[in-house]
Amino acid sequence: MHDLPQQLANGLILGALYGLVAIGYTMVYGIVQLINFAHGEIFMVGGFGALTAYLALPGGTTLWLAVPLMLIAGILVSTLVAVGAERFAYRPLRSAPRLAPLITAIGLSIVLQQLVFSFYPDAKKARVFPKIPGDPFELASVTIQRSDIFLIIAAPICMLILGWFVARTRSGRAMQATSQDPDTAKLMGIDTDRVIVMAFAIGAAFAAVAAVAYGLRTGQVDFRMGFILGLKAFTAAVLGGIGNIYGAMLGGLALGLAEGLATAYIQHIPGMHLFGGGAWKDVWAFVLLIVVLLVRPQGLLGERVADRA
Amino acid sequence: MTTTTAPAPTGTTLLDVRGVTMRFGGLTAVNNVDLTVSEGEIIGLIGPNGAGKTTFFNCLTGLYVPTEGTVSYKGNLLPPKPHRVTQAGIARTFQNIRLFANMTVLENVLVGRHSRTKEGLFSAILRGPGYRRAESESHDRAMELLEFTGLAAKADHLARNLPYGEQRKLEIARALASDPGLLLLDEPTAGMNPQETRAAEELVFAIRDRGIAILVIEHDMRFIFNLCDRTAVLVQGQKIVEGDRETVQNDERVITAYLGAPLEGTGAAASTEADQ
Amino acid sequence: MTTEITPVIPVPERAARVFTALAAVATAGTALTAWTWTADFPGDLTFYGSPAGLQWLTLTGGLITAVLTLARYGIPGLRWTSPAGGNNGILLAALGTAAVSWFAIIAIAVDLGGLANLEPGGWLAGLTSLLAVTGALGLPLDRRTADSLGKPNYWWLLAGVVGYAVHHLITRTLRLAKIERKLPPARELPSWAEVLLIIAAFAVGLFAITFGIDTEYGELFTGYLILAGFTVAALAKTGLLQRLRALTVKHRPVATGAAFSAAAAFPFTQTSDQYTSVAANILIFATVALGLNIVVGLAGLLDLGYVAFLGVGAYAAALVSGSPASPIHVAFPFWAAALTGAAAAMVFGVLIGAPTLRLRGDYLAIVTLGFGEIFRITMNNLNGTTGPNVTNGSNGIPRIPDLQILGFDLGKKHLVGGIELGRFSNYYLLMLIITAVVVLVFARVGNSRIGRAWVAIREDETAAEAMGINGFRLKLLAFALGACLAGLAGTVQAHVSYTVTPDQYTFAEALPPNSAFLLAAVILGGMGTISGPLVGATLLFLIPKKLEFLSNYQLLAFGIALIILMRIRPEGLIANRRNQLEFHEPVIPAQSAPEDAVPLTKAGA
Repeated sequence: MHDLPQQLANGLILGALYGLVAIGYTMVYGIVQLINFAHGEIFMVGGFGALTAYLALPGGTTLWLAVPLMLIAGILVSTLVAVGAERFAYRPLRSAPRLAPLITAIGLSIVLQQLVFSFYPDAKKARVFPKIPGDPFELASVTIQRSDIFLIIAAPICMLILGWFVARTRSGRAMQATSQDPDTAKLMGIDTDRVIVMAFAIGAAFAAVAAVAYGLRTGQVDFRMGFILGLKAFTAAVLGGIGNIYGAMLGGLALGLAEGLATAYIQHIPGMHLFGGGAWKDVWAFVLLIVVLLVRPQGLLGERVADRA
Repeated sequence: MTTTTAPAPTGTTLLDVRGVTMRFGGLTAVNNVDLTVSEGEIIGLIGPNGAGKTTFFNCLTGLYVPTEGTVSYKGNLLPPKPHRVTQAGIARTFQNIRLFANMTVLENVLVGRHSRTKEGLFSAILRGPGYRRAESESHDRAMELLEFTGLAAKADHLARNLPYGEQRKLEIARALASDPGLLLLDEPTAGMNPQETRAAEELVFAIRDRGIAILVIEHDMRFIFNLCDRTAVLVQGQKIVEGDRETVQNDERVITAYLGAPLEGTGAAASTEADQ
Repeated sequence: MTTEITPVIPVPERAARVFTALAAVATAGTALTAWTWTADFPGDLTFYGSPAGLQWLTLTGGLITAVLTLARYGIPGLRWTSPAGGNNGILLAALGTAAVSWFAIIAIAVDLGGLANLEPGGWLAGLTSLLAVTGALGLPLDRRTADSLGKPNYWWLLAGVVGYAVHHLITRTLRLAKIERKLPPARELPSWAEVLLIIAAFAVGLFAITFGIDTEYGELFTGYLILAGFTVAALAKTGLLQRLRALTVKHRPVATGAAFSAAAAFPFTQTSDQYTSVAANILIFATVALGLNIVVGLAGLLDLGYVAFLGVGAYAAALVSGSPASPIHVAFPFWAAALTGAAAAMVFGVLIGAPTLRLRGDYLAIVTLGFGEIFRITMNNLNGTTGPNVTNGSNGIPRIPDLQILGFDLGKKHLVGGIELGRFSNYYLLMLIITAVVVLVFARVGNSRIGRAWVAIREDETAAEAMGINGFRLKLLAFALGACLAGLAGTVQAHVSYTVTPDQYTFAEALPPNSAFLLAAVILGGMGTISGPLVGATLLFLIPKKLEFLSNYQLLAFGIALIILMRIRPEGLIANRRNQLEFHEPVIPAQSAPEDAVPLTKAGA
């Protein structure tokens, strides 16, 4: 167990990544009760947007300049795609049967994946993404890759900005009101359409931040990366209590930790030596979800919603 | 019309509520309420907005688990599970109508028969004679209830396409389909015009004549006093008075509560209607 | 929505009608000419007097347009094709014919490299079909009034100038209204005649579907889809389909029998195993989709990992099949293997359902999605290196022997009535029996105490509980039954495909069955109906299979099609009987609820 601090750090970093993507699921779900299945792909196109910006820069540009530009490009692409999807695919279906938008979302997710796969140059295989060069940092017994510094800085900043936005600004309060009761919010003069667009846009921007972090961390982006990460992020959102933005981050961190620890330690439990390692980490993440739902059905930070009669 | 005085039940006790208290966090929505309903009675439950009437209903029907207190029906303690409560013999309607919108009127009533039939998956697949008999009995019973409520002609319509007043009636027919001994009506005349309200009164009496006791929540004072053998008044979660028309109408606390003068110890209970 | 009955192009109605009919007949006639000079284009469209491939479609489309136009003329013997009246159906048929003709022209130009490869006949087909559309636009159509349109939607400019122009053309120039015209009461026919009509309809249906399955090249299949889509829409507008539906409802046993006879007749129309294997796989896919419809359509439970239950059944059957690659060296007879597969899937259904079905909301969606992925990962991992060896990991369990049922070897060819039935025909017929079982279960349970309780739970779980329904138990029952039926189909699938591998059971993949496609089949086809998932599954299986010429773009096309179809028809291709009842009421407008009806869907939410 001497490497426990290292495993904790790995888990937390991975978890912050899940958390950033989970925000998008939770915000959209909180307001329109839609599982935006395509959110994983919004994350993916953000990564490719950032890559495009990097490729457009002259070779040898310092990453101090490149990363912010990549971030802007990624956010721009993700947000545009998400807002466009909301406007053209989801909004016309507001009054449709509940599952219709879900099919649209699945369709959209396939379309985005295939668009990148077919039309982005050389995207049939993973494309190389820049990493931050240099030796890893050593803090006591914990090693942290330089590329992860981006996420370690970006995730808390994102959460602070979001917390301030939701609690303090007019738009943020409109958002809270809409998620509590869209009909009343509308009667109160809130433009719910705008609020919904905003939720999609914010979620997409966060996904793009996560995508840049993911690219820097793994050194590559590929057109399929949105699916499994989206699944994990949605799990994180449910784990934290869907609809709750802090819950999404907390759920992400919990999921990341669980995965990291399970990968490292399950095989040391007697009788389980075959079930450890990376091959089983997704299974353990899922088991965690079931256990949490059994013990705390509303998720970690979710509120128990009493049914009204 | 029966007008016996206050706590003198005519038959055996059906519903016996003792010390029911419901707290939401720091908020006490229902505070230590006792109530009994006997066979053949029509009991009213009134109170200003936010008095905790619907919360009290939800405690009776198992939708909420009361923080304290017990509810028993015909001497048996009721478990806090809505379907078990219905099986025991208490049926209810909802304040904001909750029909199965995309089912037909007939199907809505047939769903009400659920707890009185027991044909399972395999008998549905095999469709033996027992199944057919049970199905046609349910069907006859449902049609009889639709006749009773005057909806038979619309049996094949979708519930959501009925006008408001008929949706209320359908909810009652659906509740009656479970052969209840006690029917709980949550504001049955809300949103009705005077004629519809009078028709609803007739319907309530007709139901009582079928030997079903009724506990009804209402805002409409005239409706309640025309109808009920006894009336309980709930203010800020507490039962302040219970009795016949005169007792309630002349009670000063009731007048104060309805005219809006604050009671002592105002606070907590005021906003409970928000979660109803 | 206010509507009017006006032509788009203001010309005298009589003139427009004559013009449309003549143009439609002329379009059909062009199918007898040569469209291109070389036999290189698939189907060989170079002959005069003998239509081939895509020309057949133009011919059919032209004739249908002509018949519908003449029916509105009042020509006796044709009026039955247009019982509801109105001219929108004619326009749709003309549009379909034009679309398929122009698709042919473009396909020829693209395949052969240039418009120069067209013979005058091809151009003539394009021209006459457009003239028919022009004529139809001169007929009085059901349209929205100009002043009932809202502000123009400039968001469409984002889709480019062309996108905006198309949007503008459809919504503001054509302004076609989706109103349901009332059908006049049907003429009384003796019941033997009605039965004959049903049988004839199913024979036409079998022919149309066989044509679709047998299309040999992607261009023809695309054309077929275009024409079929427009024709079905046109016949729905003219009221013919509603008439037919009323007939099948009246003679349900006959209709069901006719449908299954038509399906059973399919292998006898085939000369090789090429398309019976497609058909067998369609049936597997469709049966699983119908099982999913119990879970999603009746009980309203969103299951995103349903294919895993198919996988459980298939793996269970493979393990006990006697395959040399199975670590369990037993060979169960089919009935025992089917029971094992169904039971194993049901056990997993209960294991997944029991903890999650007590919860409200969409938790089930994520848990089932997770389960689907976990199943695949676990099957991959149980390979002896990353786990105990049960499934051979990603290599799967190969060499699953063919089934022997009562001494009948499904792997061998058999002669039945002088027609040779190959391996896939045998499996197709076996699968058809299983499909029939699932249809029977769905129909009977759906219309029973249990089925009503499921729908009640879907509509409003709290109210359902207040009616004495044990929500958790019934949801678990639906979930377990759905899993069980998928497992049953899985046991056959294992034998049909010889091999089971983990990658056959993913969430989204280019080819069905996978969870996304299954759900899409249910919702696209129509939730809560029997024919909906069957139609949806057939389309979703055939489209990717037949459009291989799109190769890299077929998934893309599929995704776009899903989005567009959900926009046009979110309730699915086949509307639920309950939605049909909408039109039962005399005065309810199609789009808005009556003012005094309470919006029940939101009540208490």
